[in-house]
Amino acid sequence: MPFTAHDLRYHIEQSFPVLYAYLQQRARRYLGPLKFDAFEMDLVVEHVIEQLVRLGILGSGDHVPENALDRLSPAQFYAFLNHSIRNKSIDRLRKHRLPVSTFAELEAPADAESEDDPLNDVIEPIWGVPFATPEEAALEAASREELRTLLKHCIEALRAAPHQLQAVLQELEDLGASELLADIRKVLAQSNPLESDPLEHASQHKDHAHKKLRYCLQKGSTNLAVMVALRLTQYGEHLTSSKEVVVDLHTLTQNDLSEREVKTGLKQLAAEDLLDWHGEEVVRLTDAQKKRLERFYMDE
Amino acid sequence: MVAQFERGTHTGKGHSMNERGQIDPRNENLPLARWLQEVMAASAPPENENNEFHPYFYQQLPDFIMALLEQQPRATLHFAPLLYHLIGCTACHSAYLDLYSAMRAALQPDEVQLNIGQRTGSWEATPVRMVVQLCQSFIRQAEALYRQSRRDHTNESIQARFLLQQALRISARMTQSNMRTRALHDLVRIASLFDDFGEPMQQGPAVHSYSPVLAGGSHGRAMRRAETIMRPTANPSAQDAIYLQSNLLEGRIMQQGDTLELFLQDLDKTLHGHYLTISVPLGSLIEPIRWVGGNPRTIHSIAPVDEHGMLNTPLGRTELRLGNPEERNLLEATFLLLEVRTIA
Repeated sequence: MPFTAHDLRYHIEQSFPVLYAYLQQRARRYLGPLKFDAFEMDLVVEHVIEQLVRLGILGSGDHVPENALDRLSPAQFYAFLNHSIRNKSIDRLRKHRLPVSTFAELEAPADAESEDDPLNDVIEPIWGVPFATPEEAALEAASREELRTLLKHCIEALRAAPHQLQAVLQELEDLGASELLADIRKVLAQSNPLESDPLEHASQHKDHAHKKLRYCLQKGSTNLAVMVALRLTQYGEHLTSSKEVVVDLHTLTQNDLSEREVKTGLKQLAAEDLLDWHGEEVVRLTDAQKKRLERFYMDE
Repeated sequence: MVAQFERGTHTGKGHSMNERGQIDPRNENLPLARWLQEVMAASAPPENENNEFHPYFYQQLPDFIMALLEQQPRATLHFAPLLYHLIGCTACHSAYLDLYSAMRAALQPDEVQLNIGQRTGSWEATPVRMVVQLCQSFIRQAEALYRQSRRDHTNESIQARFLLQQALRISARMTQSNMRTRALHDLVRIASLFDDFGEPMQQGPAVHSYSPVLAGGSHGRAMRRAETIMRPTANPSAQDAIYLQSNLLEGRIMQQGDTLELFLQDLDKTLHGHYLTISVPLGSLIEPIRWVGGNPRTIHSIAPVDEHGMLNTPLGRTELRLGNPEERNLLEATFLLLEVRTIA
């Protein structure tokens, strides 16, 4: 009886034993010389089960939104599980420092399921994986314009705590991030003059600022605010009669944001006094508001 | 760290790259990236919580990875908070690598030829230790949700409650009560973290805290312990009661029709003549018990402790039967902790 991701999510009592049987069978295949070690077998199978629980695939019902794994075909889902087991098995074999050739030899050469040979991709090219290290992810965030805009937004949000803002600007200056610094100074200079006196307790202010930045950068509504702000600058239409810029909600969704997400972003922008919006279907910006958004969010 | 940064092959705007495809360190993006990593790394868990992961971000990983695999142009923009999170969280980043590899393989056409037709499995053939681990996974997930709710000021109690119920239900399948105890290790502690599970009152310390005595095992110490409390005068069979123990004190829960009754004995003299409040912290986790007074945290005894130190009071009504092994296990799990207090 095959099972699907749907079965695991909604009918765990029926599907768990079948899942276990499948994972165990795959682990036995990939663990090679370790396949008689009950501890290693359990470790590999448990790893995948734990992962499925964490992902909300196993036994979560409707409490976790469906994700890309739920939308895989049954065959693709089996392949996913198969590779998860294989990866963990390889990891365990490496931990035991078993030579690769040892378990290669144990695989039957004429095995009908030759795709199961872990040698096929035992040395998986890590350079084929985007953001293979946290450093690469950091570099992406620092260099991609839209992601930098989110960073700018979060730094600018520190203006409510001028000492913390000053501490961060000082850090940017020290590390030579002159482009970013110039952008931020340009915007901030419009709203509040920047402190120029030396900062006391700089380290403390810096720590507080970092904490706020971490929170802001990982917050979904902040990101939606930035995305919607970018779109407001791109798609707003000038009304010559009232000198206003108008854009309707549907335009802002652009087929990749839901209306709910757009509203969350608009709400956040309104909360930050960047525009006046109270749930209307059409967003209206004054010329000054649009200029302010453009200064900060325009995709150059 | 410099070397790791230099391995990057990013070609986005703002980068200048040398002939070997390395990032030009003179570019401001490089120090900025290092600084970002310093800022975000502070969110890494302390060493004693090195297994901590973040459900909110973890559960976005499959969609993010799919967007990357499909080369959706706005993938990083859409998942920017997740990307920033991955900079600082090694547990989630490690899961990202793991999942990316497996999902990439799953989408390759030649990978879908696995025989998926003949899969069999049964609970009888599934090792108990694996079921224990499954229950523990649910409980750990509930704990991770608690941490998330504290950090993000969100309310995750409905989902956590569901996970703990799953652990309870699955554990009820195990016949060995010592394994059930292992499966539900930490359940009471985690359930207590979520305040709204049991509407906790401002209660003083418990006078006695009872836990079930293992009775369902067929081997070893657990069964021997259970046998020692079977008193000849009471003469109940092991399946008709849940035996409780609090240090040297003993008690039991028995069933009369639909009613669950608590019997405590040898209570000390200071309690004689006093009414007691009984608290069952896991009582609100499963629905099928209608508790006396409506709140399993504050069940008032209908009579005081008598002059022999005995108390007999109803706890609630249920359709579950102690005579049915699986239902009995569920009831036993509900009484993993039973606290007794004097009424102020």
